[in-house]
Amino acid sequence: MGKFMQGYLDEQFMELEELQDDANPNFVEEVAASYFKDSARLINNIDQALRRGPLDFNRLDSYMHQFKGSSTSIGASKVKTECTMFREYCRAGNAEGCLRTFQELKKEHATLRKKLEHYFQVQASDQLCVINQLQNMC
Amino acid sequence: MTVEQDFEAVDQFPVGMRVLAVDDDQTCLRILETLLHRCQYHVTTTDSAQTALELLRENKNKFDLVISDVDMPDMDGFKLLELVGLEMDLPVIMLSAHSDPKYVMKGVKHGACDYLLKPVRIEELKNIWQHVVRKSKFKKMKSIVTNSESDQNGVKANRKRKDQYEEVEGEDEEERGNENDDPTAQKKPRVLWTRELHNKFLAAVDHLGVEKAQPKKILELMNVDKLTRENVASHLQKFRSALKKITNEANQQANMAAIDSHIMQMSSLNALGGFHHQQQIPQFQGGVATMRHYPLGRLMFPHVSSSLPRNHNDGGYILQGMPIPPLDDLHNNNNNKAFPSFSSQQSSLMVAPNNQLVLQQSSYPSLNPGLSPHFEINKRLEDWPNALLPANTPQSDVISNMNTTNQTSFCRNMDFGSSNAAQADFSDPSQMRQGTVNNLSLFMGQQKVENGSMPSDAGSLDDIVNSMMPKVQSQTEFFEGDLGFGWHNSSLRTCI
Repeated sequence: MGKFMQGYLDEQFMELEELQDDANPNFVEEVAASYFKDSARLINNIDQALRRGPLDFNRLDSYMHQFKGSSTSIGASKVKTECTMFREYCRAGNAEGCLRTFQELKKEHATLRKKLEHYFQVQASDQLCVINQLQNMC
Repeated sequence: MTVEQDFEAVDQFPVGMRVLAVDDDQTCLRILETLLHRCQYHVTTTDSAQTALELLRENKNKFDLVISDVDMPDMDGFKLLELVGLEMDLPVIMLSAHSDPKYVMKGVKHGACDYLLKPVRIEELKNIWQHVVRKSKFKKMKSIVTNSESDQNGVKANRKRKDQYEEVEGEDEEERGNENDDPTAQKKPRVLWTRELHNKFLAAVDHLGVEKAQPKKILELMNVDKLTRENVASHLQKFRSALKKITNEANQQANMAAIDSHIMQMSSLNALGGFHHQQQIPQFQGGVATMRHYPLGRLMFPHVSSSLPRNHNDGGYILQGMPIPPLDDLHNNNNNKAFPSFSSQQSSLMVAPNNQLVLQQSSYPSLNPGLSPHFEINKRLEDWPNALLPANTPQSDVISNMNTTNQTSFCRNMDFGSSNAAQADFSDPSQMRQGTVNNLSLFMGQQKVENGSMPSDAGSLDDIVNSMMPKVQSQTEFFEGDLGFGWHNSSLRTCI
């Protein structure tokens, strides 16, 4: 994974990679896809909730709990940190803090997505390379 | 190694163990499923608690274990946990991103076999099969226990098997020896109302409503093999009567509190005519705040140690507000495992809710002369946070009603003028404390008189404490939250 991903993904991601095997050859990519699909929906919900008049901190906290949960399970450490901060602001009833943190969160989330997409592409092309080499050997 | 032996014994297990995984988060569910597959379990997944319940109800024998997330939109994970435990009696493992101990506590209280934090690691999942084995072993034991009700030997066998079971469980050390343990005094064979059984009972009653609950319905909900309607009926009766008494007791204590706080305001003892003596007893502080709740909590979870702090303050709980009944009541309460009955006519010792040790002698005017020893004694108590007085029940000759060695009166109908007696009284708290710590019981009913006896004219408490010291030293290490009072451990039984 190396420097490219450092800080963005933690050991949990590596655990997921461990789970990938012949029976489950694209496991990590599938999980990542699932995560981004879920989280995109959540981000949307939170965005809307934040635009609405007085903030419903309980609801926001609940969304964020979900978000944090799935981010944790994929190993998205920076996103997870932003989630935690957001929840702190929710508990403190700090709307300003929530808004700010959410912007950060979206940024981190987008960055992670790009990096992972790249990562999988590289992996795929690596695999292709290997296959080519093998073919060439025959 | 035991693990391997168990593995062999259980024949292919845990491979193919059938797990039902419930989590509304798709990503988490997918990961969980894969992890479980890695462990070679057979996995069914659902993202809805409702669906999970339906699947389970359809055929409860289809699954060995349920693993469920706590926060789910359609149903609270704890509720699911409760229902599964109640209806299907399957082991349930909770999953959550919440590491807050109060959630963990909640899980345990609702009957979770385990509580795992997300992200779950495969190592943790590799061990969950143990819960299935434990649970089924427990079930077997339970049915053995209820089968052997009919014979004396069975009663002893109960204990042995129960010990075995407790070894296997290993979860709550405090459970050891806390179950119904008065085989000799009690001839009638009866069901062993263990923690799990009682929890099921409670869940059923809760489901139906305390007022409306009927034995037949409860029995159905509990769904325990070999349990009869009669068993449930008598348990329910005791439960209700204890509940009533506790409510009355709580009301009484409310009155006591009012009285006592009034008394407190009078700083000088003389003003009270020396009748009441009050002293701050630090070691009982912990329990005061929950005094009123304590009995109810106990009733709800007679054997769940985790719901209450496991330390010597448990003894303090006992003392607080629970008057020591006269021996006759204790006799009658022999059979009541979880339901103490208190009567308040005679109290020798009472700790008022405001943490004052109040010596109440409603019928012992002779107390006056004995005042100074009490002073001393109260002071002594402060020094005893960890010092145990052994379960020496002094003067077995004085205790008129001791017909079995299992019983001891804490209410001394004797001369309170002597420092000895007074000491005896005050030694009881620690006895009781030990008793409680040992047995998680509601209160001291029975204790075996085992070791020696206090010299009938022990000059002062000092002597006693000193003479006990060596023994006490060796016990202190047991004391902290542990129940191994080696030498009188086995002798402490309580009637609950």
